[in-house]
Amino acid sequence: MGRVARGDHAAFEEVYDQVAGQVYGLVLRVLRNPAQSEEVAQDVLVEVWRSAARYDPSKGSARAWVMTVAHRRAVDRVRSAQAAATREERVARLDVRRPFDEVADSVERTLDVERLRRCLNGLTELQRESVTFAYYEGYTYREVAELLKVPLATVKTRMRDGLIRMRDCLGVER
Amino acid sequence: MTGAGGYDPHRLAGAYALDAMDDDLERLRFEEHLRTCDECAQEVRGLTETAARLGQAVAAEPPPGMRAAVLAEIGQVRQLPPTVGVPPGGRRLSRRGGAAWWPRVTAGLAAAGVAASVALGAVAVRTQDELERVRADDRGVVAVLAAPDARTVSATAGRGATGTAVVSRSQGRLVFVSSGLAALPPSQTYQLWRIAPGAIRSAGLLRPDDSGRVPPVIVDTAGVEQVGVTVEPAGGSAQPTTRPMLLLDLTSA
Repeated sequence: MGRVARGDHAAFEEVYDQVAGQVYGLVLRVLRNPAQSEEVAQDVLVEVWRSAARYDPSKGSARAWVMTVAHRRAVDRVRSAQAAATREERVARLDVRRPFDEVADSVERTLDVERLRRCLNGLTELQRESVTFAYYEGYTYREVAELLKVPLATVKTRMRDGLIRMRDCLGVER
Repeated sequence: MTGAGGYDPHRLAGAYALDAMDDDLERLRFEEHLRTCDECAQEVRGLTETAARLGQAVAAEPPPGMRAAVLAEIGQVRQLPPTVGVPPGGRRLSRRGGAAWWPRVTAGLAAAGVAASVALGAVAVRTQDELERVRADDRGVVAVLAAPDARTVSATAGRGATGTAVVSRSQGRLVFVSSGLAALPPSQTYQLWRIAPGAIRSAGLLRPDDSGRVPPVIVDTAGVEQVGVTVEPAGGSAQPTTRPMLLLDLTSA
């Protein structure tokens, strides 16, 4: 990333090859629409180039930084596409699809994913749903609370303790 | 640790790491808190890293043309400088080993930009440098956005232009932000107006960036009932010469 920050195109290509699939996959997971996802993923990757000098390794891995930018952009797109009025409607007509199952089905080939699946399975149902609806569907905690019919405070807490449990299960460095 | 109004920032780390906060004021408060709570910043770091793993798990083959398109585009994109410079007309603030790394922080400070796009459902992403400029230029923006009595008023115009004012009566000020403003020819400018009964005063010219966004403008609210944006001849006018394209009524705020 240091070389990218110094304007090294070859270094950026290496970074691109490592993260593009993850960026596109995440954006697609949240947005569902391939054309929109391509546009957003492209923006994200250009932003990585543009802001590379602002990435601070002491604050986390480069990959997490890129993925955070990608998630943020995808979620912004989802939310901007939903006018305030239609958001309630959206929550109201949410299907009860379980995002986690879908995810597990599509990617259970690799060991990492297998591990992620195992860790997700180690969460309580409410933790798992709070985390995955927020992350994969781009729902706010308010929407998740509405969807799952639980108090806001509970959802906030489950998001936090669910992620903490995931962190520990995955052995993410602190 | 529970802050004013039963606000407990510590509980929010998960929602924050998942981009699941929809209340920008709450998020802004949380980010302010992060800057002073190392333990919380560390927790957010670990949870953000964990969330990224969830993202990695759903990798998919990007469309074939994307690589070439991105590589072509970066050839035309200027990179941001590595350090926080002194912004034009601004002052350098020492920043506590800051959390500026996180895009969320970026988006939040720029929530400085758009505290209330919540109402619009449109949360603009601001670039880090803009945010840093915002921060350095005036912490007053944050004071207004984080004020307990902050209220939001929004208006939209054709083709996606939006204006949002976050009004704090206790601060006697509002923060105006706008996005989606179309580029104007050099002979014209956008101008912001404070509208009080019987008196309209300029609140400055608005200069949208390439993406049509205007950095936050602080406006004194004394006696002001509306704020509006008009298109004026370059250099601005003493009084509006065209109908406002955006008009925000503050009386209900």
